[in-house]
Amino acid sequence: MQPTSELGRPELKARTFRSMGTVVSLTVPVGPEGWTADAEATLAAAAGAVERRFQELDIRFSLYRPGSEASRLARGELPLWEASPEFRECYAEAAEWRLQTEGAFTPERPDGLPDLSGLVKGFAIKEAAALLQSRGLSHWCLNAGGDVLVAGSPVAGSPASWQAGIVDPLDRTALIAAYPLGGCTGGSPGLRALATSGSAERGDHIWTQGAGGSEFRQVSVAAADIITADVLATAIVAGGASMLNRATDVWDVDVFAVLNDGGILATPGFRA
Amino acid sequence: MANTASAVGTAATGSGGAGAGTSGSTGSGSTGNAAGTGGTFAGDVVQTRFGPVQVQITVSGGTISDVTALQLTDDGGRSVQISNYAAPLLREEVLQAQSANVQTISGATVTSDAYLTSLQAALDAAHL
Repeated sequence: MQPTSELGRPELKARTFRSMGTVVSLTVPVGPEGWTADAEATLAAAAGAVERRFQELDIRFSLYRPGSEASRLARGELPLWEASPEFRECYAEAAEWRLQTEGAFTPERPDGLPDLSGLVKGFAIKEAAALLQSRGLSHWCLNAGGDVLVAGSPVAGSPASWQAGIVDPLDRTALIAAYPLGGCTGGSPGLRALATSGSAERGDHIWTQGAGGSEFRQVSVAAADIITADVLATAIVAGGASMLNRATDVWDVDVFAVLNDGGILATPGFRA
Repeated sequence: MANTASAVGTAATGSGGAGAGTSGSTGSGSTGNAAGTGGTFAGDVVQTRFGPVQVQITVSGGTISDVTALQLTDDGGRSVQISNYAAPLLREEVLQAQSANVQTISGATVTSDAYLTSLQAALDAAHL
């Protein structure tokens, strides 16, 4: 991997908006011609399109909005087979992930109600990526509350990776590790998505298997796509070491897990 | 024969257990060509995300007696761990990051309020 530092600090521009209870950041590199009015307008329009897609999905899937499709379903007012195609597609994907993870990831709460909040942020990021691609943007980084998907490079036209930092769960003002996302070094593109789940975070709907709590305080997964990264990070927090080993066996992923005692388990991609 | 050796090498590498690879390949036809002769056979170089990988098998008496890694280094010449098993690492063995040299930050979901004091907020502010 070519360190970004060798190319000098990349010059970037970002736009942020609130959605799904968190903040979403869209970051793009400044091109060789500098930060022009055109570039500014392109970023503003792209961020606007991404924000609209996030809000549409939030209105449909949020359990915090009493009128949402998810809430009507949870109250029993709407049967699953009468839900929108988008909702059913998301539910079907979540159910498939439950099979793939042998139950460690589930689209249902312990009381049996459908809960797609573990999937919808990843789903929104994936949809946003399609929007950005259709607008001709080939270098960008989208970060939604700590789940990250990138395209291209932070230095347009270079093979450099986006450098992602992982928050230290024991000291949230510090980083515990780095991971190179995207780019194209040695002719092979890097993994593009990185998601992190924690066992102690408010808003993370993770139900551990078995009686005890999670043996992991925080789990980060790098994968080719954001849904795989997001689902497996959640599944490993819930399913523990056996799910971690299953994930690294079955999928092309890198995993960085922080144990409750502060110890680290990581695949070779995270080794210095 | 090169193809056979390559297939054997891939199987042995992928499973990470020489026992399984050996018994599987013995039945799959190396006896036909190599019975009674023996020798060493190098597999094709296979490109993996961890770098080029090549293995060599040693056949004696019609069975594989050894599997050796010929090429297990990445672009920088460092040795490569083929298995993607998550192993215990000390903090100083991990790829290090400082907020000054990263472009984005991954962490467990932060609320809108928590974002305000997060490292990602500082990065975003610097890029507005």
